Amino acid sequence: MQHLANVTELKARLEAPAIEVEGLSHVYAGPDGGVKALLDIRLAVGKGRFVVIVGPSGCGKTSLLMMLAGLLQPSQGTISCLGRPMPKPDPQRVGVIFQEASLFPWLTTLDNIEFPLSLRGMPREERRRRSAAMLGLVGLEGFGERYPHELSGGMKQRVSIARGLVQDPPLLLMDEPFAALDEQTRMTMGHELLRIWSTTEKTVVFITHSLTEAVYLADEVLVMSARPGRIIDHIQVTLPRPRSYEMMATEVFGQLRERIWQQIRRAP
Amino acid sequence: MSRPAPATVRWMLLAVLLVLWEVVPMTGLLPELFLPACSKTLSVLYGDRHIYGAALLVTLYEVACSMLIACGLGILAGALVGGTALLRDLLLPVFSSLYAVPIVILYPIFTAWFGVGSSSKIAFAGIYGFFPVMLSTAAGIRTIDPQFLLAARSMGATLSQQITRVIIPASVPTVFAGLRLGGALTIIGVVVSEMLTASAGIGYLVTLNRTILDSPRVFAGILAILVLSIAYYMLARALESRMVVWQSAGRQQQSSAGVSTAAVPAPAAA
Repeated sequence: MQHLANVTELKARLEAPAIEVEGLSHVYAGPDGGVKALLDIRLAVGKGRFVVIVGPSGCGKTSLLMMLAGLLQPSQGTISCLGRPMPKPDPQRVGVIFQEASLFPWLTTLDNIEFPLSLRGMPREERRRRSAAMLGLVGLEGFGERYPHELSGGMKQRVSIARGLVQDPPLLLMDEPFAALDEQTRMTMGHELLRIWSTTEKTVVFITHSLTEAVYLADEVLVMSARPGRIIDHIQVTLPRPRSYEMMATEVFGQLRERIWQQIRRAP
Repeated sequence: MSRPAPATVRWMLLAVLLVLWEVVPMTGLLPELFLPACSKTLSVLYGDRHIYGAALLVTLYEVACSMLIACGLGILAGALVGGTALLRDLLLPVFSSLYAVPIVILYPIFTAWFGVGSSSKIAFAGIYGFFPVMLSTAAGIRTIDPQFLLAARSMGATLSQQITRVIIPASVPTVFAGLRLGGALTIIGVVVSEMLTASAGIGYLVTLNRTILDSPRVFAGILAILVLSIAYYMLARALESRMVVWQSAGRQQQSSAGVSTAAVPAPAAA
């Protein structure tokens, strides 16, 4: 809305990728020169794309995500989210959803969703209106006054997604958000996420261990190698949208899944 | 036949205990010196109510002051030690091992420094209650899930917001468990120091009457302390459950049973 002031700039932003990473490497300090976590990462994520990153454990996926979120500064290279670097977290540009729902147990569902808004000092009424809307979006009407320990794992992740969306950031980073859930809940949540995503037109970077989840959710899958993490494959998922559970049985789905698996297995 | 509720059983047990306390001395099984009857103890307590009332006020005053010291300094020191890595590495092992020292051994020094009046009791009991408060505050801050802080940072929380909005609320349950225990220890500290060297207070009355073998008055003093401690405990629990609503499920059993009794060594002075 505030971008309307400058139409040419708006146009340029629409065409520029949402995320641009150039020559990014990261070394964790330590003895013997430290641990090389990431090596020469280069990537561009288009606006509104759903990009999934897969790779073996410890390959630096999470580090990469933390850097995109401004929570960690790379040793080398540049990151630009929506045309600007990320020297520190900027919740109005980038929302982060973690593996553990990491809801604050001393706050109710609504208070948890509003937390980022209250940090900014938004008036309570406005906060309530927004958080209630988010609660509806993730399908948790009626659970606003519950505490996290009264919710199931899937419900907690829904709250966490609502909290990530409440500031309406154009970019959403998700670090294995459904890893702690059982298989059925996980598939349902993935489906839910696609529904929410299709109504919000956000750019999503999603990390997972599950190849099925990767193919099911993604427009593009980035495959990373073992440490030090490099991007070794970039796969376009051509399955039509909206995705349905039946697609998992198709040949295309199987081939894509197989290709990712081969890449991960071959990675040194 | 359905089983009665645990609360009912507890009250019944208490009633049985009181009846036994009354009946056993009457049968002459135990001489009065060992166990004066319940009614005798209560009547002595009532007859000497001015003496016991005055002594209880002294004890209460000392307990209140030492709790203030223990909780205030304990939380402050615990926050500093738990929050700064340098102090933690430097001091936490020292404090943890000091906790095992029977601090009552230092009480003669306290009387030398502060005299036999209330100040020495307050100082002693304050230090006695300080350790659990300080240690659990430090533990409460140290054991905060780093994920909470990461999430808060990702949502744009400044350092001061991280402290007030995450660290403080997250450590409240642990701090409270320490306060409850520390408070109980200050009561013990005050009573013990009164029994050792004093000129006033319930502990002093108990020791005084023990030396002249006046059992009913000893028991009257014990009863007064018993009621005081139970009242304190119930008050602390009520306060705690109001402050930590979110913890009411699941974790409460652990914190109440674990921290207050099992995890902490028995008070060295008792």
